[in-house]
Amino acid sequence: MKRLDPRTKLGLGLMAIAAVFIAKEPKTLLVESIVLLAALPLLRMGKDLLHSLRYYWPMVGLVFIIAFFSFDLLVALVLAVRLFNLLTVSFIFFRAVSPEETGDALQKIGVPYGLAFMLTTSMRYVPLIGQKIRHIIEAQSSRGIDLRLRLKNVGNFMALLMPLLAQSFVLADELALAMESRGFGRQGRSSRKHYRITFVEYGLLLSALTLLVIFAWWERG
Amino acid sequence: MIRLRHIRYRYPHTGWVLKGVDFSVTDGEYLFIGGANGSGKSTLAYLFNGLIPHYFGGTLQGTVTIDDLNTLEHKVFELFSHVGLVLQNADAQLFNSTVEDEIAFGLESLGLPGGEIDNRIREICRTLKLEDLLGRSPATLSGGEKRLVAIASVLCLNPSVLLLDEPYGDLDWEAVERVRQTLSEVNRSGKSIIVIEQRMGKFLHDTSRCLILEQGKLLYQGSPQSAHEVLLNAHLLPHYSTRGNGAPGKEPLLIAQDLSYRIKEKEILTGVSLELRKGETLALIGRNGSGKTTLLKHFNGLLRPTSGRLTFKGEEIQDKAPSELADQVGLSFQNPNDQFFKYRVKDEVMAGPTILRKIQEDWLQEMWQVFELRALLDRSPYRLSEGEKKRVSLASILATRPKLLVLDEPTSGQDGRFREALATLMAELKNRGITIVIATHDLDFAQAVADRWIVLHEGRVVADGAPEDLWRDEGLIRLGAIGRPNSDVG
Repeated sequence: MKRLDPRTKLGLGLMAIAAVFIAKEPKTLLVESIVLLAALPLLRMGKDLLHSLRYYWPMVGLVFIIAFFSFDLLVALVLAVRLFNLLTVSFIFFRAVSPEETGDALQKIGVPYGLAFMLTTSMRYVPLIGQKIRHIIEAQSSRGIDLRLRLKNVGNFMALLMPLLAQSFVLADELALAMESRGFGRQGRSSRKHYRITFVEYGLLLSALTLLVIFAWWERG
Repeated sequence: MIRLRHIRYRYPHTGWVLKGVDFSVTDGEYLFIGGANGSGKSTLAYLFNGLIPHYFGGTLQGTVTIDDLNTLEHKVFELFSHVGLVLQNADAQLFNSTVEDEIAFGLESLGLPGGEIDNRIREICRTLKLEDLLGRSPATLSGGEKRLVAIASVLCLNPSVLLLDEPYGDLDWEAVERVRQTLSEVNRSGKSIIVIEQRMGKFLHDTSRCLILEQGKLLYQGSPQSAHEVLLNAHLLPHYSTRGNGAPGKEPLLIAQDLSYRIKEKEILTGVSLELRKGETLALIGRNGSGKTTLLKHFNGLLRPTSGRLTFKGEEIQDKAPSELADQVGLSFQNPNDQFFKYRVKDEVMAGPTILRKIQEDWLQEMWQVFELRALLDRSPYRLSEGEKKRVSLASILATRPKLLVLDEPTSGQDGRFREALATLMAELKNRGITIVIATHDLDFAQAVADRWIVLHEGRVVADGAPEDLWRDEGLIRLGAIGRPNSDVG
């Protein structure tokens, strides 16, 4: 997986997302879930997914409950499993492709450098923002401002949002300084990584696309 | 060579930050620029590579030339390979996913071919001994390693001057030593180095010349040896006075018994036992990563121990939430900006007591007086100086009138003047009967304020005693649990 060209990874990732959206029947969605879960140990990501599950179960659960009360059990099941599959595909994609590779792939398909860099840098700073949120919650809890996810604490959430926003702006400003100081604005950048899509990868992409088209036709019927 | 002539500068919508600065940096020189927070040091750093005026705007009078290039006429991307700037905030400085990509970034900006970039990465990593870190994410590195990677990421561009803004920031004695040795080696190889710092230490004596900045003007320019007197007079080297008169009681306030904490199979604390007496000031000493902060978070319920017991005033607290303990134990973290969310200092300090419904007017009056906040009450907390922010943050923790005040690295990022003022504050709080725990690797500060030290090393308590006894303990120094005496202040 690591040796694949980032464009191949991006293409496969997009097709996997398309497959999740195309699937309509609960049975098909469940088969997709089983395939995805079976792929995880092969990609050595099983343990990491277990760790991340605790973050996305509440979201899946919430969608299920809302859909159940608004529609019926079948719709709730379809939406919840679809969301689960979508999150799992995204999880695999972001684990398999580093932010730099995503940026390189986007540039290779014609996205301007500045925009590709902005997207990859935002991805790189997600864990840091997560860490900042933890620090703010700890600092506020230490003076009696409870920020645990409880209904009674809703009024306290400004104590999380304000410091987070203020620090994010400062970080963005300092990041811009650091980038400028390392020549970000200079024309004629080079790239030390040279990517090449191999024949095998073309075959892989073509097979995946064929399967996707057949799958879409099948689901329509 | 860098030359600054008659420099006056102000940011948009502010007063003059630099008020007539003149000096030069010659090839191969090792220059130290010191000063208090807000003296204009970082502004000076931004002048050296053209960030001022091209990025910040504002009004610049006078001329700055770098290798005969006038910064007014040349943009930052034309100057970055002449002056390599390492910023204070490592999280902003290191913005790539791996150390290798981090070092490659500037080289790619220069448009160098792939083979040349790989060669330069290999060469700089060999010189700075960073080969083992190449595939790692910068986020997973220690403070010292982050600093070295930041140095590598600009040094590989082969600039004539390496410029570092507060490189020793919040590093412990071991990391300071590693960075210090690296900088000396780089200087010996013929490169000019400029270190801008508010922290003073033995590294001052590695340099060949010292400038002290005070309110935008040069207060001193000369040899580092004769700067000592000036630094003392300007209180940039703190004068610590007494520890406070309140004698610690015999009654225990907090007892930890065989406390252990494990996360993802990694043991962070192992069998920690300690007793904290009412009215005492205890310093928890240890290197970064020794488990100090983890231990502190157990005192107010932010963390629950994997095993062991914790009692506060005779009551078991290891299963309590922070909200249940907030009016008893106040914990203040390093970064005051993690707290501020109100528009006025007064509302900020009263946020905790308001939520806990524990507003005591007489106690608040004492807070305004002890922390000298009366003049600041209507100001925005965001617009205060670093020292003032720290005072507001401490007052906001103490406003709920806890019995125990816990401080995590309170001197981090603070200048000598604030350290001195904080030591006086600690003495005042002690005289008011407040029990204090301070986690720090600032040994001089800990020596000045604490009645007792507990030394933590790799998650275990390795010493417990009077600062005077532990301060020069060769066994602890050899173990790496404490630094050498005066390792911070020279």
